[in-house]
Amino acid sequence: MGKKDYQYMENPFQVTRREFLSITGAIAAFTALPAVWVRSRVTKRNNYLRARAAGLYLDDRNAKIRVSHGNPVVTKIYDEFAHAPLSEISEALFHTRYINRSKGIA
Amino acid sequence: MESATKSFQKGEIPGIIAIDEATCKGCDSCKRHCPTGAITGMFGAVHRIDADRCINCGQCLVSCPFGAPFETVDAVETVLTRLNNKDVAVVGIIAPAVRVAIGEEFGLPAGTLATARMYGAMEKAGFKILDNNLAADLTIMEEGTELLHRIQGELSGGEAPEEGHGPLPQFTSCCPAWVRYVELNHPALIPHLSSAKSPQQMAGALAKTYGAQKIWGVEPGKVFTVGIMPCTAKKFEASRPEFISAYHHLAAGGGTYSGEAFPDVDAVLTTRDLARLLKKMGIDLAKEPGSAGDSVMAEYSGAGTIFGNTGGVMEAALRTVHAVITGTEMEPLEYRDVRGLKGVKSASVNLIDAKTGKALQVNVAVVHGLKENIGAIVDEVLSGRSPYHFIEVMNCPGGCINGGGQPVHPEGSGWMSAIAPLFAWR
Repeated sequence: MGKKDYQYMENPFQVTRREFLSITGAIAAFTALPAVWVRSRVTKRNNYLRARAAGLYLDDRNAKIRVSHGNPVVTKIYDEFAHAPLSEISEALFHTRYINRSKGIA
Repeated sequence: MESATKSFQKGEIPGIIAIDEATCKGCDSCKRHCPTGAITGMFGAVHRIDADRCINCGQCLVSCPFGAPFETVDAVETVLTRLNNKDVAVVGIIAPAVRVAIGEEFGLPAGTLATARMYGAMEKAGFKILDNNLAADLTIMEEGTELLHRIQGELSGGEAPEEGHGPLPQFTSCCPAWVRYVELNHPALIPHLSSAKSPQQMAGALAKTYGAQKIWGVEPGKVFTVGIMPCTAKKFEASRPEFISAYHHLAAGGGTYSGEAFPDVDAVLTTRDLARLLKKMGIDLAKEPGSAGDSVMAEYSGAGTIFGNTGGVMEAALRTVHAVITGTEMEPLEYRDVRGLKGVKSASVNLIDAKTGKALQVNVAVVHGLKENIGAIVDEVLSGRSPYHFIEVMNCPGGCINGGGQPVHPEGSGWMSAIAPLFAWR
C-alpha cells in the first residue's frame, strides 16, 4: 500500500457573487417577458372598446346640435304632440312602472 | 322548466340566453362575467343558466371562448317577412352603439362610425329610420325634468317627497339588465329608478302614435317597430306586458283606434342580427353610398349619440340640467370626469340657479360593469348614506358599446373587469 496522494480539487463550476447576481437577474428578466407580453395582449384586447367609444365621441363632436334640449325635432314633438315633459301624454307614453320580482329567486 | 317562470310576468320571454350543451366545455369563463351568479355547473361539466336569476345581459355570450351561449329569440325571419309586405311600414329604431360596431361585421375596423352607411343599407332593405338617439334626447328631457323635481322636492323643506316625486338619488333606467337586476335583487330601490322608459320603448310608443299620424301617414296597426340594439336584454324588455302604451293611448285617450292590441316594439334585432339580415338580402353595408335618413325622425343631437358609452347618459343629462338651471350652455360641453373606463366615476357640479341666485351642488356617479362595481353604491343608497343626486348604471363593462348583442370580438369581449385583479399596476 503506497502512500495515497490526496489532492485538493477546486470545484470546476464556480461563480462569483457578481456572476451569480447577473445570472439570477437574467433568469428573472426572461421569466418576466411572457408577463409583459400577456399584459400588452390584454391591453390591446380592450382597444376595440376604446375605438367604439371614440367613434361615438367623434359623432358627438361632428354633430351640429350637441344638447338634447337644442334638438328641433324634440321641440317639434312637444309642440305638436306631447306638450311638455311629464305632461299627461308624456306620462302615458314615455314613463313606466316597475315590479318587485324578488320572490322569483327567493 | 317549471322553475323558469317565477320571476316573469305573463307574456314575457323567459331565458333569452341559453348554453348549448354540446359546445360547453365547462371552462367557467362565463361565470366570471355573470353579474348575478345565474350560471350553475361544476368546472368541467356542462353549465346551465337559471332564467329566473338571469338579467339577459349577454356578457357570457360575448365572453365565452367556445361560443356556447346563444340567443333563444331570433327575429330575423319575422322582420324579413314584414319587409316584404308592402302594406307594413317597418320602422328601424337604431341605438347609438350599433353605428360604431356594425362595421366590424362587414370588414371595417372597430370603431368605424357608419351612421350614414347604415341608414343607406337599411333604407335599401326597406326600413324607415327612427334614430334612437332622438328618443335618447327625449329621455334626457323626461328624466332630467324628473330629476329636477326630485331635487326641488328635497330642497323644499326636506319633507316627504311630493306626490309622484320619488326619493334621491335617482337611478337611470335606460339599461334593461340593470332594471331587472333591481327588480330581482333590490326591490327597495325601485322608487329610486327613474320612471322614464328606456329610449327604445319611448321610440316604439312615439313611432306608433306621432310617427304613424304625422310623419309616415299610416295606420298605427300597420307600423312594425324593430329595435336595432347592441343588447340581448332589449329582447326581454320589449316583451314586458306594460309596454303596450301606444295602443292604450290610441284606444282610450285618443279614442279612435279600435283594431287589435299591439306592442310598442314588435321585434328586436341585435347588431349581429341586423348584419345577418342585411347579408341575407345581399346588402354590403361597407359599400353603401350612405343616406341622411328619410324623415326628421333621424335627427339627433350629440348628447343623444353618446348614450352608448359609459358616462354618456350622465354627460348628456348634465348638459341639459346645466342649461335649465343656470340659463347658459355648459362650457365646454365635454364633461371628462364621467368619461373613461374606471369602474365607478363620480363628480360634483356647482350650478348657480338663474332664478333664485342660489348655488346648487349636484353630485353624480357613473357605474358600469355591475358585477364588480355596483355593490358599494347599492349599499350606500339602501343605508341612506349616498351622497349622490343622480347615478347612471349600465350593466356591461364600457357601456352599450360592449353590449351582449354586439359583434363578438375574436379575442373575447368584456374581459376588462375580470382581468383587472391580475394586472393591478395597469
